Amino acid sequence: MLRLTRLRLTNFGPFKGEQSIDFPQEDGVTIIYGENMRGKTSLLNAIRFAFFGRILGRGRRDTALHKVGNWEEAAENKVFGFEVGLDMTHAGARYRLVRTFKPRPGVTEPKDDGDYVQDYFLERDGVVLSRGQSKTELERILPEQIARFFLFDGELLQEYEDLLVAESDMGPKISDAIERILGMPVLTNTRDSLTAAKERAENRHARAAQGDQKTREFGNQLAALQSERTVLQTDLERQEKDLDGLRTRKTGLEEAMRKMQRVMALFDKRDVLESDIKTLKEAVAGKKERLGGSMASAWCALLGDKMRAAITDLRARETQLQTVLIRTSVLASLAADGQTTCPACLQPVSDEARQHVQDSLAQHGGAAGADEQREVTAVRRRIAALEQFIGDANPQALRLEWDSIAQDERQIYAKGNEIKEIDAQIADVNEEAVRRTRSDLESVIKQISLLEQGLGKTREALHNNAVYRDNLQRKLDKFAGSGFEVERRRRDLAADLEALFVRGIDVFREQLRRKVEADATAHFLQLTSEPDYAGLRINDSYGLTIIHKDGSDIPVRSAGAEHIVALSLVGALQNNAPLRGPIIVDSPFGRLDATHTDKTVAALPSMAEQVVVLVYEDELAPARARAGLKGHLKAEWTLVRRSARHTELKPRKD
Amino acid sequence: MSKEKSVKPASGDKRTIGITRANEHSLAALVAAGGFGSELDAAKFAMAHAIEQGTEVGTIEGTNTKWNIGTVDADASLRALIESFYGAVAEPYRLIEYLINDGLRLLDSGDVPPNVIKLIPAAKLKRVEETADGTAD
Repeated sequence: MLRLTRLRLTNFGPFKGEQSIDFPQEDGVTIIYGENMRGKTSLLNAIRFAFFGRILGRGRRDTALHKVGNWEEAAENKVFGFEVGLDMTHAGARYRLVRTFKPRPGVTEPKDDGDYVQDYFLERDGVVLSRGQSKTELERILPEQIARFFLFDGELLQEYEDLLVAESDMGPKISDAIERILGMPVLTNTRDSLTAAKERAENRHARAAQGDQKTREFGNQLAALQSERTVLQTDLERQEKDLDGLRTRKTGLEEAMRKMQRVMALFDKRDVLESDIKTLKEAVAGKKERLGGSMASAWCALLGDKMRAAITDLRARETQLQTVLIRTSVLASLAADGQTTCPACLQPVSDEARQHVQDSLAQHGGAAGADEQREVTAVRRRIAALEQFIGDANPQALRLEWDSIAQDERQIYAKGNEIKEIDAQIADVNEEAVRRTRSDLESVIKQISLLEQGLGKTREALHNNAVYRDNLQRKLDKFAGSGFEVERRRRDLAADLEALFVRGIDVFREQLRRKVEADATAHFLQLTSEPDYAGLRINDSYGLTIIHKDGSDIPVRSAGAEHIVALSLVGALQNNAPLRGPIIVDSPFGRLDATHTDKTVAALPSMAEQVVVLVYEDELAPARARAGLKGHLKAEWTLVRRSARHTELKPRKD
Repeated sequence: MSKEKSVKPASGDKRTIGITRANEHSLAALVAAGGFGSELDAAKFAMAHAIEQGTEVGTIEGTNTKWNIGTVDADASLRALIESFYGAVAEPYRLIEYLINDGLRLLDSGDVPPNVIKLIPAAKLKRVEETADGTAD
């Protein structure tokens, strides 16, 4: 049983200078109160750093360590880096683990992690262990793969939902971690050893067959198949390792994408806006080209009224001139010789009157009406020109064209402003990195798909290989009494032992799952306030489904219910794990209502012997905690603000 | 481009039409603001503006040749228009040249009247921008 006794921090996060917290030695709960940004998560990370040399940020990604040192100390005293010391007991021994992150010698103004060096040492019962021993001891005390069941927060609890999703990438990793904490590797490692022993026996058997003339051909074929198996198994291991790496990378990239979701949406929006602007600009260019043609007659529109007035005047003049010309024509008729009647009124015309007309016409040189004729021609030419220009004028059409261009330009302007606003919002974002994350994710998904296909083919080839080997071995087995009988028996023994362990693992796993299911159900019923819930059902991946009292599954559950189920699983794993340790949990009540908070508080002492809870007071008021835990509450601490970059750890006195 | 014919100007009238150096910038600005397809289209617009603003008969010196009158008035309809407004002037193309230059001057120097803004909305924007820049008259 691992128990923490003391945590010492030096310039870790907001914990300026050297500070420490002592954990009670008796079983029970310690509560550390701290408002947001005071350093609750930093405390959890300090323990994580002490054990594993890593710190997890949001999205469960490693945080750059050079950012973790106390800023105030760095700014005021040029002291960089930090140290965490953890005192603990385990299996009857006292341990002291100290891990440091300090600037490299000669570096006075460290800029990134490369300017620092990380170091640690582990003491057992006052004796400093070698690096190799320290590593082995730490792996035994708290393996990193199962740390999630001891050090966790709401974000991590949320991941257990992935156990219910068969195709999730996270689910298999968590299942693996669950089997680790349950001690399954002891059995699976033995099975793997027996499998290796069986394969060695098979090889010896094949070699023995090769040595006998009667079975040489079969032995050769078997040896070739065994060599092929070795190659295929190596391929399979490599592919599985690559796939595991790719899945981890995919999970990280997906988390990064989730975090960048808002930024990505902004980038997408900006891309759409830029595309819209490009389209609009092309439209405007086309419209302006057409407008150029239309504007050729714009001047006609400018003179429209004036031209219409001029036409009216010109038509009046044309009428006047036409009258004059008619009159001149009539007079010419009157003056003609032999004309006795007026062509207009048909009255007789006297000779005297005709002579008068002839004299009058003679005064114009015999060309009466010629000027008027020229003028009327000119007037008609002008009227025709003006009418043509008026016909060309189309101010309404021009207006529509201008309006259409203006509308497009307003849109370009508005969209341009939207782009400026987006640019302001993403000013500090490394656009290339964001886009790279997206393309990396797409690439990783493709690689996973290809690798899965490759894995399928390798497994199929291994299966075929096994079938061929079985056939050959059956044929070899018919040669009873031959010199390789001993090797055959050795092979059969190894195969039987392997089969026994394979079956044993299945049985043990099933028993464990039932125990975990029963314990998780017990925790769940203690935690939930819903009387219609009958318990939890476990699946092959240790995912838990809530069961209604009528026997049906509850298909969808809230974030709060998810939290309760996850806490139930953690409690059940603690109950069934050969490795026991403290539970240190950050803000576990944030998603829970008052009733569930009370029930969870009351259940804490039964989940582990040592429980450390980091909360803010609105999440769990001290009075509520004291009432719920009573004698199980062993210590209370508070994170006291000294400045934005300086928090002090103080025992709570009120 | 246009159907260029041999237009016969009256003896002594101009055979080419030009723009003064001072109006070159004004013409270019008008072409840009009005989205005209050619300088000649913009020049005709300036001419119409001068007529509309009541510019009297006149002449202008010191122009740099831009167009042949065959290009400006291939079918003599422009001359007919000028005669409609100004009567049978002796040198209609000299008058057209004057009107073009005066129109450009008016557009560049004065407030742009609403009838022009209706046809060239950017003309108003140009004035506003110039005022904002402190470059307006």
